[in-house]
Amino acid sequence: MKRLLLSLLVITAMTTPALAGHTDADRPIRFGLTAVLVKGNLRFLDQWASYLSRKLGHPVEFVRRRSYREVTDMLDSGSLDFAWICGFPYIQKRQPEFMKLLLVPVYKGKPLYRSLIIVNRDSSYKTFDDLKGKVFAFSDPESNSGFLYPQSVLADKGVTKDSFFRQAFFTFSHAETVEAVAEQVADGGAVDSYIWEYMKTFQPDIVNKTRVIQRSPLFGFPPLVSRLGVDNKIVERMQRTLTGMKDDPEGRKFLAGLKLDAFGEFSPSLFDSISKMAERVRKAQPWMAEKKRLSGFPDK
Amino acid sequence: MIKRLSPRSWSLTTKFALTITAVVAGVAFTIGAVIVAQDSRQFYEELGANAVILARSVAVTSAKPVLRNDSWSLFKSLKKMTSGDILGGFKGAQIDTAMILAPNGTILAHMRPAEHPLGQLYKESMDEAGQTLLGRALATRKPVVLAGGNGNIGFLEGVAPIFSDEKFLGVVRVRLSTYEIFQKTLRSALIVLGLTFGMVLLGSLLGVLISRRITRPLTAMTEGLEAVSRGEFSTIAPIPVIDDDELGKLATAFNKMAAEMAEKKMLEEQIAVRDKLVALGRITAGVAHEVNNPLGGLLNCINTLKNHPEDPKIIERYLPLLDKGLHRIKDIVGSLLVELRVEDATEISDPSCLEELKGLIEVEIDGRDVNLIWDNCLADNVCFNGPRVQQIVHNLMKNSVDELPEGGTVSFCSFQDGTSMIFEVNDDGPGIPAEHRNHIFDPFFTTKPNGTGLGLWIVYRLVESMHGVISVESKVGHGTQFRITLPTMELDA
Repeated sequence: MKRLLLSLLVITAMTTPALAGHTDADRPIRFGLTAVLVKGNLRFLDQWASYLSRKLGHPVEFVRRRSYREVTDMLDSGSLDFAWICGFPYIQKRQPEFMKLLLVPVYKGKPLYRSLIIVNRDSSYKTFDDLKGKVFAFSDPESNSGFLYPQSVLADKGVTKDSFFRQAFFTFSHAETVEAVAEQVADGGAVDSYIWEYMKTFQPDIVNKTRVIQRSPLFGFPPLVSRLGVDNKIVERMQRTLTGMKDDPEGRKFLAGLKLDAFGEFSPSLFDSISKMAERVRKAQPWMAEKKRLSGFPDK
Repeated sequence: MIKRLSPRSWSLTTKFALTITAVVAGVAFTIGAVIVAQDSRQFYEELGANAVILARSVAVTSAKPVLRNDSWSLFKSLKKMTSGDILGGFKGAQIDTAMILAPNGTILAHMRPAEHPLGQLYKESMDEAGQTLLGRALATRKPVVLAGGNGNIGFLEGVAPIFSDEKFLGVVRVRLSTYEIFQKTLRSALIVLGLTFGMVLLGSLLGVLISRRITRPLTAMTEGLEAVSRGEFSTIAPIPVIDDDELGKLATAFNKMAAEMAEKKMLEEQIAVRDKLVALGRITAGVAHEVNNPLGGLLNCINTLKNHPEDPKIIERYLPLLDKGLHRIKDIVGSLLVELRVEDATEISDPSCLEELKGLIEVEIDGRDVNLIWDNCLADNVCFNGPRVQQIVHNLMKNSVDELPEGGTVSFCSFQDGTSMIFEVNDDGPGIPAEHRNHIFDPFFTTKPNGTGLGLWIVYRLVESMHGVISVESKVGHGTQFRITLPTMELDA
C-alpha cells in the first residue's frame, strides 16, 4: 500500500511539469537559432529575448543548436515554436508539413543574400576550378549558401564533392568556415554573404585573411518560420513585434546589432530559386533526395 | 720577479685568502651545478609528462571526429590545446607543433595547416632522425614521450594513440619545445655563477679577515724578531695577545723572551760600561803609578839639588836621574799619545806602505844576529788603513825582536784569504808563559824592565777598531805567532 502510494507520488511528480507546460500560459516561447547567426554574444541574445518578452508580454527563450537538422527536428517535435533557419531546409517538402514562413529579414534593403566561395587571401586560387584536388569547407549540410550552392556548382560541372576535392568537411557554422579558410585548414569554403559581411565588421582580422573568388546569384534570405501547431495569436503577436522593431528605437538597436534593416512579410516564392537549384542538384546527385534521413554527413 | 710569482713567496695572508676563496667557490659551484642539473632534469621530466597529458587530452576527444572525418573539430581541439586555457598550468611549455595522424601517416589535423595540408602524408621537415621519430610515433599503441631535435632547439614529443572500440585510428603528437628549459637552465647556471662569484668575493673577504687575524701577531713577531736581530730591543712593541689560543701563547712566549733579551742586553750594556770604567780606572791607576814612581825620585832629586845648589857632584849625579825619570814619563805619555794619534788616522794605503816598516825593523835589529824574513804577499790592489796596520805590525815585530836571543828568526807574512787579509808575525823566541797569556793585552802589563806595557794593548785596540780578530799561539821555548785577520776594505767606502 505504502509502495503504491509512493509510486503514485513519483508518477505525479514526473507528469506534473509536462502538464503544466501545456496548460500554463507562462510557458516560454522557444525560438530556435542556428549558425545563421554568428555565434557568441550571449548577452545580446539575452537582451533581445527580454526585449521580445516585454513586447509580447510573454517570456521568450532563444534555443541555440549546432545544426539546422537539430533545429528542424525540434520544431517538428514541438519543443520549438519558432526558428530562424535557412532557405534550403525551408523549401524541402515534408510529410506532413510542420512549419510555415513567418518573416524574412531585410538585409541591405532587400530580403536577399548570396553564397560566397572564399579562399585564403595569400593563396593563388582565382576560380572555383583552381580548388580541384584541394580541401574544402562547407558549413552545414542543410545550408543553402554553405552547401547547396557549391553542390550545384559541382553538379553543373558533372562532378561530386568527393571526386572534385581531396578532402571536404563541415564546420556547421559560416563563421567557422571563414576561420577554417583563414587558418588554411581548408583551401576554399562556401559562406553566407551576410555572415561574411557581418564578420568583416566585427572580426575583420579573420575575414581579411580571406578573399572571394565567386559569388552566387541572389537567394531568399534565411527565413524565420513558425511551427504550424503554435497558437495563431502568438504567431501574429510575434510577427507584429518583430516587424515593429524597425519603428522602435530599442528594436532598431537590436536590428543594428544584427546588421539588418528589418523583418518583413514576403511571399514563399522568394525561395523558388533555391527550390530550383535543389532540384538540379537532386537530379545530378540522386542521393540528395534521401537527405531528410541523414543526420549530418552525407554518405560517401 | 719570477720569485714573486712563485706561490712559495706569497704572503700567508694571500695564501689563506686564496685557500678559503677556492674552498668556498668550489663548494658553491658544486652545489649550484648539482641543483641546476637536477632542476633541468626535473623540468625535462615535467615537460615530457605535460606533453603526454596534452596529447592524451586531445586523443580522448578525437575518436569520434576521426571516425566522422570531422577535420575541423580535430583542428579546433589542437588549436584549443595551444590556447592559454589548457597551457596555462604549464608555464614555460611552448608548443612546438601538434598534429593528428592517421595510422598510415596521413594528416588528419595539423597545428600549421598551411605547411602540412590535410589529407597528405606527413613529411618530417627535418631529416632521417625525424622519419625515425615518425615511425616510432605511429608504431606506439600507448602514450609515450619521445625526444627529438638537438641542443637548444630540441623538443619532447608526447604521443597518444586514438582508439575507438579497440580499433587504432591514429595518433596525436604534441611537441613541446625544450628551448624554454634550455633558457631556464642557462638562467639558473648564470645565477649559480653569479652566486659563486658573490661567494668568492665574500670568501676572499672572509679569508683576508681571518688571515689578517691570524697573521697580524705573526707579522708583529716577525718585525720583533727582525728588530732583535738588528739589536734594537727598545723598538720591540709587545705583541698584543688577543686570544688564549696557540697564537696567543706564542705571542706571550715571544713577549717574555723579548723582555728577557732586553733585560739581558741592558745588563750587558751595564757590564760593558762597568768594564770600560774598570779599564779606564786601570789605565788611570797605571798612568798614575807609572808617572808617580819616577815622580817620587824626581822630587827627591830636586829637593837634594835645592839643598845643594852649588855642589857639582850632586848635580852631576842627580841630573842624569832627573833626565831618566822625565824621559820615562815622556815615553809613557808618548805611547798613550801615539795610540790616540794612530786611532784617529784614517789614511787608506796599499800593501807597499808595509815596505817602509821593513826598513824600520832592520834598524831595530841593527848589529844583532837576528834573521828577518819578510813575505808581503798582498796584491797591489788591496788596501787598508795604512797607519794603523803599520803601527800594529811595528809593535808586534819590535816585541819579537826585543825578545829574540842571538841567532833567532822573526818573520812577517801577509796574504789574502777570501774576503780577509791575514797578517802574521812569527818568531822562534822564548814564547809567552802560560800565566801571562791572559794579560798580554792588558795596559801596562809588561815583562820587560823598561817596557811601558802599552804596546800590545795598542795593537789590540787598533785591531778591534778595524773589526779584526787577533789570535796568539805561543809555546814556551819554541816561539810565538800573532795572527791578525782584517776584513778587506771596500774601496768606495
